[in-house]
Amino acid sequence: MNTRPSPSPVSRREVIRSLVGSSLLLPGLVSNLLAETDVADPLAPKASHFPAKAKRVLFIFSNGGVSHMDTFDFKPKLFVADGKTMGVGGGLSNQQRRLLRPGWEFKPGGKCGALVSDLFPHLRDCMDDICLIKSMKSDDNEHYQATLGIHTGSFFFSRPSIGSWISYGLGTMNQNLPSFVAISAGSPYAGTQIFNNDFLPAYHQGVRVVPGKEPIANLDRRTRQSSVQELELGLAGALNQRHLQARGQDSELAARIRTFETAFHMQTEARDVFDLTKESDETLALYGMKRGQTDGFGWPCLIGRRLVERGVRFVELVDGSSSHNWDQHGDMAEHAKHAKNLDQPVAGLLKDLKQRGMLDDTLVVWTTEFGRTPGVDGEKGRGHHSACYSSWLAGAGVKAGTSYGSTDDIGAAVAENRVHVHDFHATILHLLGMDHETLTFRHGGRDYRLTDVHGNVIEALLA
Amino acid sequence: MSRSNITLSGLSASLLALGLAPDVLGADAVFLRAVNLNGPALQIDGRQWDGTNSANLLISGKLFENQSVALKPATDPDRARMIRSSVWGSKVDVSVGGLPSVECLVVVYVWEDNHSEQFDLLLNDSYVVEKIHSGAAGSWKRLGPWRVTPKEGTVKVSARTPSHGAANLSGIEIWTGDGAIPGVISESFVTELTVDQTAFFEKKIRPVLVEHCYECHSSTAKKIKGGLMLDSRAGVIKGGDNGPVISPGQPEASLLIQSIRHGDPALTMPPKKKLPDSAIADLEAWVRMGAPDPRTENTVATAAAKNAIDWKKGREWWSFRPLNRSAVPAERLGHWPMNDLDCFILARLEKAGLKPADDAEKQVLIRRATFDLIGLPPTPAEIDAFLGDTASTAFARVVDRLLASPHYGERWGRHWLDVVRYADTAGDNSDFPIPQIRRYRDWVICAFNRDLPYDQFIREQLAGDLLTAGAADGTQERIIATGYIANARRFGSRVDDYPQHLTIDDTIDNVGRAFLGLTVSCARCHDHKFDPIPTADYYALYGFFQSTRYPWPGIELEQQSRDLVPLVESARRADAEAACKAYDTEKRRLEKEVQKLKDSLKEKIGDEKKPIESRIKDAQKSSKDFIAQPLPFELAYAVAEAGKAVNAAIQIKGDPAKLGEIADRRFLTVLGGQQLPTSDPTSGRLHLADQIANPGNPLTARVMVNRIWLHHFGRGLVPTPNDFGKQGKLPTHPELLDWLANRFIESGWSIKAMHRTLMLSRTYQLASGPGDEAAARDPNNELLSSFPRRRLDAESLRDAMLVLGGNLDTSPAGEHPFPPQWEWKFTQHNPFKAVYDSKRRSVYLMTQRIQRHPYLAIFDGADPSASTAVRTSSTTPLQALFLLNDPFVHEQSREFAKRIVATVQDESGQLQFAYRSALGRKAERAEIEQCRSFLTSAHTRLTESGTAPDQLEIEVWQSMVRAILRLNEFVYMD
Repeated sequence: MNTRPSPSPVSRREVIRSLVGSSLLLPGLVSNLLAETDVADPLAPKASHFPAKAKRVLFIFSNGGVSHMDTFDFKPKLFVADGKTMGVGGGLSNQQRRLLRPGWEFKPGGKCGALVSDLFPHLRDCMDDICLIKSMKSDDNEHYQATLGIHTGSFFFSRPSIGSWISYGLGTMNQNLPSFVAISAGSPYAGTQIFNNDFLPAYHQGVRVVPGKEPIANLDRRTRQSSVQELELGLAGALNQRHLQARGQDSELAARIRTFETAFHMQTEARDVFDLTKESDETLALYGMKRGQTDGFGWPCLIGRRLVERGVRFVELVDGSSSHNWDQHGDMAEHAKHAKNLDQPVAGLLKDLKQRGMLDDTLVVWTTEFGRTPGVDGEKGRGHHSACYSSWLAGAGVKAGTSYGSTDDIGAAVAENRVHVHDFHATILHLLGMDHETLTFRHGGRDYRLTDVHGNVIEALLA
Repeated sequence: MSRSNITLSGLSASLLALGLAPDVLGADAVFLRAVNLNGPALQIDGRQWDGTNSANLLISGKLFENQSVALKPATDPDRARMIRSSVWGSKVDVSVGGLPSVECLVVVYVWEDNHSEQFDLLLNDSYVVEKIHSGAAGSWKRLGPWRVTPKEGTVKVSARTPSHGAANLSGIEIWTGDGAIPGVISESFVTELTVDQTAFFEKKIRPVLVEHCYECHSSTAKKIKGGLMLDSRAGVIKGGDNGPVISPGQPEASLLIQSIRHGDPALTMPPKKKLPDSAIADLEAWVRMGAPDPRTENTVATAAAKNAIDWKKGREWWSFRPLNRSAVPAERLGHWPMNDLDCFILARLEKAGLKPADDAEKQVLIRRATFDLIGLPPTPAEIDAFLGDTASTAFARVVDRLLASPHYGERWGRHWLDVVRYADTAGDNSDFPIPQIRRYRDWVICAFNRDLPYDQFIREQLAGDLLTAGAADGTQERIIATGYIANARRFGSRVDDYPQHLTIDDTIDNVGRAFLGLTVSCARCHDHKFDPIPTADYYALYGFFQSTRYPWPGIELEQQSRDLVPLVESARRADAEAACKAYDTEKRRLEKEVQKLKDSLKEKIGDEKKPIESRIKDAQKSSKDFIAQPLPFELAYAVAEAGKAVNAAIQIKGDPAKLGEIADRRFLTVLGGQQLPTSDPTSGRLHLADQIANPGNPLTARVMVNRIWLHHFGRGLVPTPNDFGKQGKLPTHPELLDWLANRFIESGWSIKAMHRTLMLSRTYQLASGPGDEAAARDPNNELLSSFPRRRLDAESLRDAMLVLGGNLDTSPAGEHPFPPQWEWKFTQHNPFKAVYDSKRRSVYLMTQRIQRHPYLAIFDGADPSASTAVRTSSTTPLQALFLLNDPFVHEQSREFAKRIVATVQDESGQLQFAYRSALGRKAERAEIEQCRSFLTSAHTRLTESGTAPDQLEIEVWQSMVRAILRLNEFVYMD
């Protein structure tokens, strides 16, 4: 048989790409591989379009629609107007409704004195590090569409997630871990589409981590003895080498052999990320966690820190799921339970990042898919409200201790400085040194962007 | 009828919405009479309106009222009440009598309760406005006034919809006199300019437009934004994609003025920097004086001419040209070619100075052919038979045997299911399961097995229901075939505002890619940027599907499916359809009943709740009992004709609320533009299918033979099988592609014949791996000097493991174990989500749109939401982790180990059995030694770790098998 190396540039490039794709490669492996080729490593750190402070992102997403007027957007007139009836705009709330008084008192936090409700006492202490946006705007009053929108910029069609775009734009800083990790205990609205790479190459896919025993699927060895698994890999390795030699060192075959070495080591190495035994009691306390606890939002926040610490580019922390979340149609009092779950861990995360100096180059984002109506829904609840809501940014490059935009007297509509989802995305990319109009990918005969054909960078949010 | 009237109607509505009662010039007109169509007598603006039953009023049309629709803009309650009661239809006539014989001014209220429509208005049988857009749900307009003289004391107001939709007329006001009607302004664009006006324009307006607007809004713009051109009077009057930008005389109501004031963040012009206040004031003054404009050049017409598609040039693109009939290149390498195909390949190789590789060994060839045609490994017996068959026709016999296998359709049907983005769920927010769609999947598999001619394959999928007339048999299969269209993706959660246009878009997108290799849906919002496909062509196709009834799979707010098609013989069809309809109606009624009770429960407190709750239980039970009663026939998730066949209106920028011109149903212009004959009363899908399946269509055969080629050689002759347009890649062997396409048509569109042509070539039978020269000079092996090695796809890998485990279930696929429909309560909070274990072939795995199947996601399975032309073949550690640790792999290994031990007694025989089953060849001596040494070590380690003696042999072999399943040789096909 005619056999020789097949240095096909295309296939080799694909091999390297897929190798790195969703992989947790060993140090040096990629550089070794790349040394054999003149192909650029697709996940190697790439220069941003312009210098920027933020190098990595922790993106916290609260499922269900967090009420703005009960958390970060103080509406004194709504306290007074309780019970009055009026028509308020925006989708499901587009009817005459009885106005509902916010359920929590507001107090100033930090030196900046930003008003935050009693739902978030810990976050209130962090307001000097936070840049609050009170004039967010989405396009759809359905959870699914709005959730897809805040993740992909597209409200109906599957498109790459913001994490995939950022991975595509900047690569990763640690070849031993994926560039995009999504920690999600439950299934969010719109399912796994929200951390999907869609048409971007597969190595930009969000690798899902599920809190619990086996955070990454098939990470645990199923043979009783590791020595037996080693033996099996030894035999397969020898036979594979033989097969490879007969085929002239085909790089694709060689790459697949390496994936088994990588996977074998992942069984122990990736475990290190999830091993919290070396975290101090003080640190655990900061996140409001007990030792050994994996439920609640402390675990995702702490693992999130450990991932970005190791150079993962984008970590999404999903708060709640499609069936258990902030969607309080019937009784707003339920918000308290979800706030308690979120407040201390996220505040702890901010404090922890700060004390480690990581807040200087880490961007922390908190958002939800939409706000809630000023009018009542059900007996004591609020409906979906995409016309306005609150989100915040913290960390690298962000104008901390400020608030931007406002809503009208009752929080029904944006009064000034609207920040549409596309603007929000454009600004996040800008903070990472990327121009949202330049970060494009050719697919199906078209250049796609995270911001579609929209979006403006909101300069006022930048430090 | 002047254009200004249309503009003004919108204006008056917006003014009323703003609560402004503009002070109109001079004395008011005199109010004569007003009538509330399909409503009671009432007072509006202090004037008495007659009710629908008053004297001297004759209404012809259907009566309709929906007081729950929120009006846009909102208005006072009496007016709202009047607006929301109306008369509607495609032909509405209202005669208002008892009027004096003086010239009257007529004002008409119209509104939209659900979907945007288009209609014309007539007064005394003369057209006064054409193509009025009713707008989104809740929109209303006060149109007019128009002057008309009553005939015998009567004014007749009529609405007509020439080809599409219906009009809702709510009320009519009749006035007289020269004064203005309160709330309605009469003003128009200035036509005769005074000297002062010209000077004002030149000094104040033109410079501002040139400096701040022309960059984006003129014929010289790099790209005209928003369809608006401000560099001519014609452009100013026409407005942009959002409609007119100027309401003459009324700056407040003019979009142009609103946008330069930066009041609405959604529309701020110029986008970066606001104009100086003085410039804004000048433009306001200009609009107030009627936008006097001395410019005469019609840049709108010029730009239209410039942007028009150059059809002649467009048709010169290679894939739009007719199939070539090039001669088969003369062979030079003696008897190397086995058939004509080889001559094309060889000619290119010789031109490049490359030699083809040696022939593949027989055991390699049979493994290749078997995976290729049926997606399973050859059995040791099959290998032996082939190795023992020394006749020159031995391989042809293998190919024939495989083509006759029922597994062939499972393999090749799957390739087609990739292209048509097949899924077992709808893709809406709750991802509703579709239990009946599997019949379409089975139809595809069966169509490949019986070698249904490809042109007929196209016709049945697009118009099988229309082919049943007069057919003696096969009618049910043809109905099932239209599951192709029904399988289009669904979106959202809501019933009102249901985005059917997106489902139709998904259909058009797939029809374009699957059959024609064109990205037609790029033309949804604007003309295709690269290929000669104008937006008008897109909506010409849209009409075919708008005239089609898609089945309703269920959605969060309306859970019960409906509009499925009964599977009965022709004679019973009408009865069955009636029964279906009655069933659907009753199902819906019962579902609504439950919902109504649930809604009423919300208002009750304490003890009041109890009786309602028990009524809900009863209602739920009757609903369940009713649904659980099976219909006396099976149902297909298939399409049917909609009630009415229509041509679609162009949706401006893809927005279904903004309708433009009507596009008559026809085929793509670049491919002939064949109009649907006016005599055809159907949706026209058969006409469309006939155009696609026409042998003269240059794309259809090329696209399909390229797909067949792709799956045999790992890469298409056109490397972008879904895009034969300018953004796609050019064919590597254009003459060969056309030669194959011609042959395909001449064979009667036989796919199996095409397999024989490709596989019985020497090119197919070459050894894999390029030679030295080839690797250096043709690194991507485009010239096919050797067979391209490739990884097994997800399905083949899983199926092969099941075969080795002796676990593959080959019984008919049957239904997925979905929960029964009466238990469905899927929402976006708790969407349908399931993974069903199965030992059947992977093509039968239940695949969801929103949640990827975990196994298929790891191994590059097809995208269930968008057409997959080529599977990617990634090599990731997650795949390795699967093969290391997934329970499925461990289970199959165990079963395979048991088979090895049970089938053969001696160790070397066992080894050979394992090798031949998994790798299709005998183990060589060195390998035997390595394996034996492994078996010994494994035995030792397993013994040491305390494995029970009676389990030891199985465990040792299981370990051996796991190693084999991880081999490149197992996962790759040479």
